[in-house]
Amino acid sequence: MRIGIDVGGTHTDAVLLDGDQVVSAIKTLTTADVSGGVFNALEHLLDDSAVETDRIEAVMLGTTQFTNAVVERRQLSEVAAIRIGLPSGRGLPPMTGWPGDIAGELGGHAYMVHGGTLYDGRPLAELDAGEIATVVADIRRKGLDTVAISAAFSPMAAAPELAVAEQLRAALPGVNITCSHQIGRLGLLERENAALLNASLLAFSDRVVRSFSEALVRRGLRCPFYISQNDGTLMDAEFVRQFPALTFASGPTNSLRGASKLTGLEDAIVVDIGGTTSDIGVLQGGFPRESNVVIEVGGVRTNFRMPDILAIGLGGGSLVRDDGHSIGPRSVGHKLVTEGLAFGGSTLTATDLLVAAGKLDLGGDARPVSLAPAVVANGLATIGRMLNQGIERMLPSKDRLPVVLVGGGAVLVSGELEAAARILRPEHAGVANAIGAAIAQIGGEVERLVSYSEEPREDAIRRLSREAHANAVAAGADPATVRIADIEETTISYMAEGSTRLRLKAVGDIARINKGVAA
Amino acid sequence: MIKLGSESLADLSAGAVFLATGGGGDPYVAQLVAEQALDTYGPVDLMAPEELDDEAYVVAIGGVGAPTVSLELLPSIDEAIATLDAFEQRVGRRIDALVSFEIGGGNSLIPIVAAAARGIPVIDGDGMGRALPEAQMMTYPISGVLPTPAVATDYEGKVTTFDTTDILAFERDIRQCALSSGGMITSAEHPMSGRQLKAAIVPNTVSFSIALGRVLRANRGNARQIFEPLAALFRDSIYGGLHHLFTGKVVDSSTRIIGGYDIGQAHIQAFDDESRVLNISIKNEYLTAELNGQLLASVPDLITIVDYETSTPINAERLRFGQRVTVFGIGCPAFYRSARALEFVAPGCFGFDFDYRPIEELVATRTPAA
Repeated sequence: MRIGIDVGGTHTDAVLLDGDQVVSAIKTLTTADVSGGVFNALEHLLDDSAVETDRIEAVMLGTTQFTNAVVERRQLSEVAAIRIGLPSGRGLPPMTGWPGDIAGELGGHAYMVHGGTLYDGRPLAELDAGEIATVVADIRRKGLDTVAISAAFSPMAAAPELAVAEQLRAALPGVNITCSHQIGRLGLLERENAALLNASLLAFSDRVVRSFSEALVRRGLRCPFYISQNDGTLMDAEFVRQFPALTFASGPTNSLRGASKLTGLEDAIVVDIGGTTSDIGVLQGGFPRESNVVIEVGGVRTNFRMPDILAIGLGGGSLVRDDGHSIGPRSVGHKLVTEGLAFGGSTLTATDLLVAAGKLDLGGDARPVSLAPAVVANGLATIGRMLNQGIERMLPSKDRLPVVLVGGGAVLVSGELEAAARILRPEHAGVANAIGAAIAQIGGEVERLVSYSEEPREDAIRRLSREAHANAVAAGADPATVRIADIEETTISYMAEGSTRLRLKAVGDIARINKGVAA
Repeated sequence: MIKLGSESLADLSAGAVFLATGGGGDPYVAQLVAEQALDTYGPVDLMAPEELDDEAYVVAIGGVGAPTVSLELLPSIDEAIATLDAFEQRVGRRIDALVSFEIGGGNSLIPIVAAAARGIPVIDGDGMGRALPEAQMMTYPISGVLPTPAVATDYEGKVTTFDTTDILAFERDIRQCALSSGGMITSAEHPMSGRQLKAAIVPNTVSFSIALGRVLRANRGNARQIFEPLAALFRDSIYGGLHHLFTGKVVDSSTRIIGGYDIGQAHIQAFDDESRVLNISIKNEYLTAELNGQLLASVPDLITIVDYETSTPINAERLRFGQRVTVFGIGCPAFYRSARALEFVAPGCFGFDFDYRPIEELVATRTPAA
């Protein structure tokens, strides 16, 4: 048996799965210390199901904590950005093009030094130990303990980044460092941005991982725990500690995968309606369709691989204006339960429209809502129009697809949607993310330096595909489900013609839990 | 003459990537630099070619090299200004206006950066109407404009001057210079009079590119949804019709920097039929599109690959395994279909062993199997 937990900004959800079956599901509130919420969820789940802790093989966590930290500009550490690349790039220093508020959160500490590599492997400029020492002294003077290092062409030649990291570690023991070559591919600005965001999350990531671990131990769970990443595979605790940015889009990924699991559908549109937005994603062959374009996280360009999500400003707490002709994007968010009309507040929200129409019974202390019939009719039509347009935009072809509604705001859809072939509201839809985390996949990676002049490219890719496949299976993936998810080639020009670093990732469903599950 | 401010840059850059047919360098960094320039120096005058004085002295400016390099060796305002300074010093006179090599990609923005810094106009038009990998393929030399005097600066600010009047020798020299200077240089070349420019330029491509960017922005949607508005824009332009060539998933893509170019192939497989594979050959730009051996389009006609879901154009260096894409073909400006121009841009000039056939003809004779 395994447990999936989704730690969101408002709710912490947990599910207990026995193989494919949902044994128990619970929705609790996220607590400020995270650990308390996770403990509560585990407590409820295990009490409800009366399952002994030693029967739990693993706990899989999905969390939007790190994405939210970037989007909401909180919990971010100040970071010194060191770019190695002068005399090139002087006009576009680190954090160019960033929204001012997030650049401010990181402290705006941008340094540029000589060095880096050219496309052909020759040095762009020599590293200047004196220049670096000046930067290090300034970082020490400012009391900064976190650094992101980037260098021109570092995915092809990591040495300059590593040399500067070494000099920093020697001078500033205990310093946290993210090097850009560890986290991104060619594209200096996006790779540098990814390294900066990652570095700014390192301290927070340490706290989050520790609090997860504490909650599990406190509830008597001694099994391994994993955290899901962008591509729907799992990482172990140590890896997350170093690369929290890799969790950025795990929320939508888990939601889509959970919706597929709950409905058995491989090809569908999934609409996750929350308090503020509706996130529309597409399932293809049971997996989230990936975005092809450069993705912004909190307004910062990165080049992570992420699911293609269209977020529209429509949620349960969205403000209704203009006699129902206009809804959102402003929302009362999690204050819906105090500010919405149905909860005794004074703000007309999307949820109130449904209550007034008699299509939603909130139960408990909720109050009746009385609105002009025209406002209700307009409002419901606006909700339908917004969702139909969003779904139309995401449809892969002109054929309509089934639409799966998940998330707490799914109650906003009372009837049919023209853009949907049919609408599904699976049981446990409210905890789709936690289910997605519980069924996260196992990855197997392989990275090798190959020479296409000695081994034809196709042969090399075939050979490494087999190896990645084997690694995934060894890590616990079901062989029948393993597929190649990513192929990345980086030319290493300074070596013999045809030298390439080839990285492949294979992923598959979990067949069994064992050590070394994360790639 | 209209004023070009930083608010137009996003549209110009989006249109320019579409016209870049896979090459032209990363537009984002060029756009950042152009924004800085227009914010610092104010808007630039965009001058229609016919408004230019016959005796005016114009030079073409832009980047030369492998587009992949522009992802790492970032351009700067200083490099554009230094190139212009070096050019003026070389020829001993002031320049009246700037023009771009190619509207496709980042090179559409470099003249704007330099013109903003100098307070001189930029001409609405370019020397390709698209992007192409080599100097002799520009309309300027094909129309008789000499490539030199020319200068190039590299990332260190090192200046190289060129004097040969032979366009093929010039291309060899400047390519060699780019190769040994980090893979990307900024060059000022093909100086010409207003009179020469009017005869040689592909006109109004800057304003067309802005209009194209606006259509892409206003009709955000997938490639199927955007087809009609795009086709309508191209129908009434110097380009021919827009044709949908293929939609599918990138199953393989590989380019390498060879001899100062990004060289490679991409394979795109139909969503519903694994046996249908479109092969795209790449030399900085997308050169040919062949479906299971049948040619669907080739240079000098334009081949553009867009993200199927968002219709965002994807450059060759950003093509990746698993991407879902649509491939469009567009007729090239009429200039390139003349016998004189085809001497420099026909498929044979890129090493292919077949003659150029216009895209309308290829599409009309496309067999059902393709």
